[in-house]
Amino acid sequence: MFIVKFLEKVGHCFIGFLAAIGNISLFLFRSLATGSRPPYYWKQIAQQALQIGYFSLPVVGMTALFTGIAMALQCSAGFSKFAAETAIPSVVMIAMTRELGPVLTALMVAGRLGASMTAEIGTMKVTEQIDAMTMLSVNSIKYLVFPRLLTGLLLLPFLVFIDDIIGILGGYLTGVYYLGFNSSNYIHNTFSSMEMWDVLSGLIKGAAFGFTVCLMGCYHGYVSRGGAEGVGRATTNSVVSSSIMILLLDCILTFLLF
Amino acid sequence: MSFVIEIEHLKKSFGNKIVLRDVSLKINPGESYVVIGESGTGKSVLIKCILNLCEIDSGTIKINGKDLARLSQREKFSALLKCGVLFQGGALFDSLSVIDNISFGLIHGYGKSIKEAHRISIEKLGAVNLDQSIASSFPAELSGGMKKRVALARAIATDPDIIFFDEPTTGLDPITSGMINELIVKCTKEFGISAVSITHDITSIKHIGDRVGLLHDGRFIWEGTKAELLVTDNPYVRQFISGSSEGPFTGNTNSPRP
Repeated sequence: MFIVKFLEKVGHCFIGFLAAIGNISLFLFRSLATGSRPPYYWKQIAQQALQIGYFSLPVVGMTALFTGIAMALQCSAGFSKFAAETAIPSVVMIAMTRELGPVLTALMVAGRLGASMTAEIGTMKVTEQIDAMTMLSVNSIKYLVFPRLLTGLLLLPFLVFIDDIIGILGGYLTGVYYLGFNSSNYIHNTFSSMEMWDVLSGLIKGAAFGFTVCLMGCYHGYVSRGGAEGVGRATTNSVVSSSIMILLLDCILTFLLF
Repeated sequence: MSFVIEIEHLKKSFGNKIVLRDVSLKINPGESYVVIGESGTGKSVLIKCILNLCEIDSGTIKINGKDLARLSQREKFSALLKCGVLFQGGALFDSLSVIDNISFGLIHGYGKSIKEAHRISIEKLGAVNLDQSIASSFPAELSGGMKKRVALARAIATDPDIIFFDEPTTGLDPITSGMINELIVKCTKEFGISAVSITHDITSIKHIGDRVGLLHDGRFIWEGTKAELLVTDNPYVRQFISGSSEGPFTGNTNSPRP
């Protein structure tokens, strides 16, 4: 009896998981199909661009700076055992551009913007604002979702680029002013080992993560129901699923790109 | 004779719960029809089904002779422009000012210029007895009565043929309720708009209704004029009007929100 109930629960979860994938795919298809046709809501796109590209800069910048500093310190502690301190600049650069820059930027954006997208769209859903929009002959997916997906896709790489620069700067400051590196040597070691693909691969990851964060944020807002509690639950689901998706995609893309 | 709304054998359920069992209804041009019934009998669901905001299980619904479910998205949006809705909570867009709320359908639905849309919006603000000084205010800065009137101005901005009122006086004081009732009568009689209203307010029913239908157990169990409503010996209607706890209504009905 216990085994039957257990299997029933596992089956129920699995079907729920497949249903969620199907629903997200349909939602994505509808968003792209309606969003790619005119009219285009340029004001909405500009507002979202400002939210993602400009207002996220402080939090992304701080995260990058602290990560760059911590990375240089950790490398110093580890590499000194093997007298390999000279590798610190290139390791900080590779870690920031290939991995930490895109992942941390996406996680910060998921926490800051993904949650706010879900809360905003979810509140609109439960207070019938989305129904009101439909009644005023405006396709709510086109108006609310597509601009967010587009700006997420285009502006996350920009944020990742800024993150890379600030992270490397954090490593430089630690290396030069705390670990006693010569400034020009540090800069030379950083750039001599840098390849264009290191930066590009990070930007590609950023675009994929940005699109995913916005898709999850919008989808969970759009399917939320049941008043304030439902919106709260949707917001939590949005951040959790975005974070998991970012890490999963990171594995897949790293495997494919390197 | 052509009806503005024609519903035949409508059935709608949520999971195992049948909310609308067999609803048939015909509304004449210029008529004001009031739907009454216990809370949770599916009155709001009925409006959402009529407006194609939720999918029906079976039956047909025609607005001005057109079955919205069979129209293409573009045709559906164009048909919806001829329907106005005053949602229960107003459903004003929080992020837009009063004037932008009223102009929304005119700009995005009708494609009017911002200047023209704002001119019409100011005119509609006057029609619902609101001063144009609130045009730049945001919904959060308005009282409940003002929000309802702004929502009414938005609903009539596109000059609809049919207007739906979902509990228009709920949560308002008697004076503001009276004012809203006056405005509804003004909309229907002066502008010749057909109306479907949901209300529990007996004063409202007497004021705004030409014909009244009592919804119970997923179907209309009584229909008549407002004069007949006051003299009928139908036990359900008598209990509803008297507000007595003794009678056929058990108060156990609870349909989910669409």
